[in-house]
Amino acid sequence: MFNEKIVNPNELRHWEGRIELYWIYTSGEAGDRFFKALKDEEKFIAAKCKKCGKVYFPPRMYCEFDFSETEYVEVSGEGSVRAFTVARLDKDEKPLEKPEIYAIIDMDGTDGCMVHLLGEVEPEDVYIGMKVKPVLKERGEREGKITDILYFKPS
Amino acid sequence: MSVGKKDISCPPEAPGTPLKDSDIKEKKVTYVEDHPDMRYAWTAGQAISRFLNELKEGKLIATKCNKCRRILFPPRIFCELCYKPIDDWVYVQDTGTVQTFSISYIDPDARPLKEPIIVAVIAVDGASKNMAFMHVLGEVEPEDVYIGMRVKAVWKPEEEREGSVTDIKYWKPMEK
Ligand SMILES: [Zn+2]
Ligand SMILES: [Zn+2]
Repeated sequence: MFNEKIVNPNELRHWEGRIELYWIYTSGEAGDRFFKALKDEEKFIAAKCKKCGKVYFPPRMYCEFDFSETEYVEVSGEGSVRAFTVARLDKDEKPLEKPEIYAIIDMDGTDGCMVHLLGEVEPEDVYIGMKVKPVLKERGEREGKITDILYFKPS
Repeated sequence: MSVGKKDISCPPEAPGTPLKDSDIKEKKVTYVEDHPDMRYAWTAGQAISRFLNELKEGKLIATKCNKCRRILFPPRIFCELCYKPIDDWVYVQDTGTVQTFSISYIDPDARPLKEPIIVAVIAVDGASKNMAFMHVLGEVEPEDVYIGMRVKAVWKPEEEREGSVTDIKYWKPMEK
């Protein structure tokens, strides 16, 4: 009868591995335009379809409904909360000292929206439809990323 | 929304935006990057753990099924033909026969090798038919290897062994 099994876990073996993964995701034509305007000019860029008039935010080069070209338009960057959720754990599931409020924000003057943080407001005071405006990092600290916007605060 | 031909005009041209490495390096375009730290551990299980530990002693161990009388190598804890746990541990020899081989001119990262390596499937003596494992051949030129060649394991010195298949440096031809 075979009963000679390893019972000491130190004698059990394993292999360790590591998968090398490195990626770069460029913003594309329209995304590049958006981030550079945000970084250098504190401006919010959207794109308006030359044919149907739909205003894309974030901007796109072409309209997805009629394949027409778009033109870039400046918008205020202000908007209103369409939906929100309060995170009390970080991405590694460790408790956060201060809860973070994530919101989908409908951007004024556009048909688009963005997901970002809400700040300078307590979770219990947030409501759907709340008007908000962006708070940006200082000029020198901005690097052309979505985190150049620190959060949106009630306006 | 209706499907079919509509009043749609395609963009006159969509040439794409070629990017150079320098566009990224000099941050001429905006981008995000990440380097996820993906680690894993793969357990060897009962049979292979013992197999690896025995390599440290300079021994090759197999398992035996008393029903089909096969000697399973590398060892398994379960006979896949009889569908029952194996019955015993047995040692096999560190000699064998080349079943098939391949000459590799690149390393695992596909970089060219100065000297090609000869990877072979070796049927070890004492194990049942069709029991073999993969290793490398040494002390032989690629053009002299043939299927059926008798080979013997060349072990690392005992103090350098760590319970890994690399405790066998390579297999060398037995005949001179
Ligand atoms: Zn359109
Ligand atoms: Zn069997």
